[in-house]
Amino acid sequence: MSERRLSGVDVTPLTGVGTAVWYRPDADLPERPAPAEVDGEAELAAFEDARDEAEAELDAERERTAERVGEDEAAVFDAHVQFLTDPQIADGVAERIDDGLPAAHAVAETFDEFVERFAAMDGKMAERADDLRDVRDRLLRLLTDGERVDLSALPDGSVVLAERLTPSDTAQLDPERVAGFATVTGGRTSHAAIFARSLAIPAVVGVGDALTSVADGETVVIDGTTGEVVVDPSDDTVAAASEGTEARVREERVETADGREIEVAANVGTPAELGPAADRGADGIGLFRTEFLFLDRDDAPDEAEQYETYKRAIETFPEGRVVVRTLDVGGDKPVPYLDLPDEENPFLGERGIRRSLGPDADLFETQLRALLRADADTDVGSLAVMLPLVTTVEEIAAAETVLDRVVEDLRSEGIEAERPEFGVMIETPAAAFMADEFVSHVDFFSIGTNDLAQYVMAAERGNDAVADLGDFRQPAVLRAIDATTTAAEGTDVWVGMCGEMAGDPALTELLVGLGLTELSMSAVTVPAVKERVSEIDTAAATALAERALAAASRDEVIDLLP
Amino acid sequence: MPERVVEVVPEEGLHARPASLFVETANEYDAEVSVGPEGAADDDLVSASSMLAVTGLGVAGGEKLRIVAEGADAVAALDALEELLSTPEDEL
Repeated sequence: MSERRLSGVDVTPLTGVGTAVWYRPDADLPERPAPAEVDGEAELAAFEDARDEAEAELDAERERTAERVGEDEAAVFDAHVQFLTDPQIADGVAERIDDGLPAAHAVAETFDEFVERFAAMDGKMAERADDLRDVRDRLLRLLTDGERVDLSALPDGSVVLAERLTPSDTAQLDPERVAGFATVTGGRTSHAAIFARSLAIPAVVGVGDALTSVADGETVVIDGTTGEVVVDPSDDTVAAASEGTEARVREERVETADGREIEVAANVGTPAELGPAADRGADGIGLFRTEFLFLDRDDAPDEAEQYETYKRAIETFPEGRVVVRTLDVGGDKPVPYLDLPDEENPFLGERGIRRSLGPDADLFETQLRALLRADADTDVGSLAVMLPLVTTVEEIAAAETVLDRVVEDLRSEGIEAERPEFGVMIETPAAAFMADEFVSHVDFFSIGTNDLAQYVMAAERGNDAVADLGDFRQPAVLRAIDATTTAAEGTDVWVGMCGEMAGDPALTELLVGLGLTELSMSAVTVPAVKERVSEIDTAAATALAERALAAASRDEVIDLLP
Repeated sequence: MPERVVEVVPEEGLHARPASLFVETANEYDAEVSVGPEGAADDDLVSASSMLAVTGLGVAGGEKLRIVAEGADAVAALDALEELLSTPEDEL
């Protein structure tokens, strides 16, 4: 039989091959026995044991998730413990056992009553229904042990298939054993997707009901790059998939097969990510987000604190460049000490450079001082300063004036400050249209494809309903990129890209063909992109870019890609 | 019985983390704490020690809550809960 391909949403740029194992936490319970056959006391004890065990599991999973993923994702388990130990649940279960139900049925009925109530409410309440289902399924697994697949004890090389995977489910998955997973529902921002990315598990979500045609025991390839599940794959597909999982780390810089150097850098959002970025062979940092310094605290960080952080970043890449984006906040991120306005649409409001040249001017100057001092005090590496959300020449000129003043101030204080490389993010249609005017003011452009796609297509990131529109493979997005690289052609301005698009090896050839010379991405994909760069022939890449720019639809673009 | 009307400052309202901390805090005191929307009759108040009941109120940020406590440390419990509800979520 020939292979079958099911398509879904790609989540991690990783590929895995394995044996399908269906995980069905909501499998039917056994037939309900007659009330007279139920030993109430024993059932109540069984419920209490299961509850204690579930609580112990949740505590352990909370720890593990806090370590592997982060505090925010771990907090969900606190809510689970509270639902688990809720007096209304305990009372409901006890009453039903008293009425002659076995513990498992009593748990299912009690939870389902609340699930229904919550699911009928809007928005956030419906999410609580998911939490309740999650706790219910955990209890049922413990009460009916042996009848369900245990995610923490899967055989090596399993590919888990499920309707959906909850945070509890994914927390149990052992990335060493699991070759990947695929789910019927879910989008790029679902819990399962976030977990898959942080644990580097190949995954495809949102496959739809077609996934149920896969039987337990069938061989499947999870191609996280194309977002496909290949059932009963040919030998060639399996061979290609196994190769794809083994990109080796290259410390050295890479060039295309015909000798054009492409800088492959990492995006970093916290100091903890600096080491891993270097370990994965990143040439430098193409996007150092500085928001972590400013969020979750009562006062702005002072110059000295920022200085230490920037110095450390520059020193981590002694041979490379660290591109630091100045503070990019707006009404969507709470910063208690900044007077952030309550805006109808914070993504189109006072944010990024608009605040740095307005209400946050002092903060902007302090940040530049800290950056330039850190650069002056490090003999190695090099600093580049990048402005977020630029739309006009005036903004660049105003920021340049501040930068020049800071250089002079520092020099008059006896610090040997030098003007760093100075550039802007291209993340708005305005910036792409005006790039030819911007070139005389900057040293570089860095295309932020997540925001660029969102603003060009008027399609919100993270909204599954418009995910196909917000896709950076839309021809409109490619044309905005082309406008930027074309504007820089024949000048000294280099053009890089930071954002998800840069980290997709399937797009590397297209991006090189469009004229990008720097690609910055999550550290996890650096080795795969470096490998891909070294295989590319520039002339072929240019021809590919020309065809993609002539495409009339996203489908046509996708057809051109490997 | 000591009681108080408090505005819910966390933008998210009484969900997820704020709700979780609210229930945790209520459970730290011996006093029996019950809670409901501002103006709720005594019979319509629910137990503050039940995550299900508290979340089920569906309270949004900016809404006001009536909190009633009964027991030796009732006032201390109300103080603690009021402080919690008056703290923006990112500072919790």
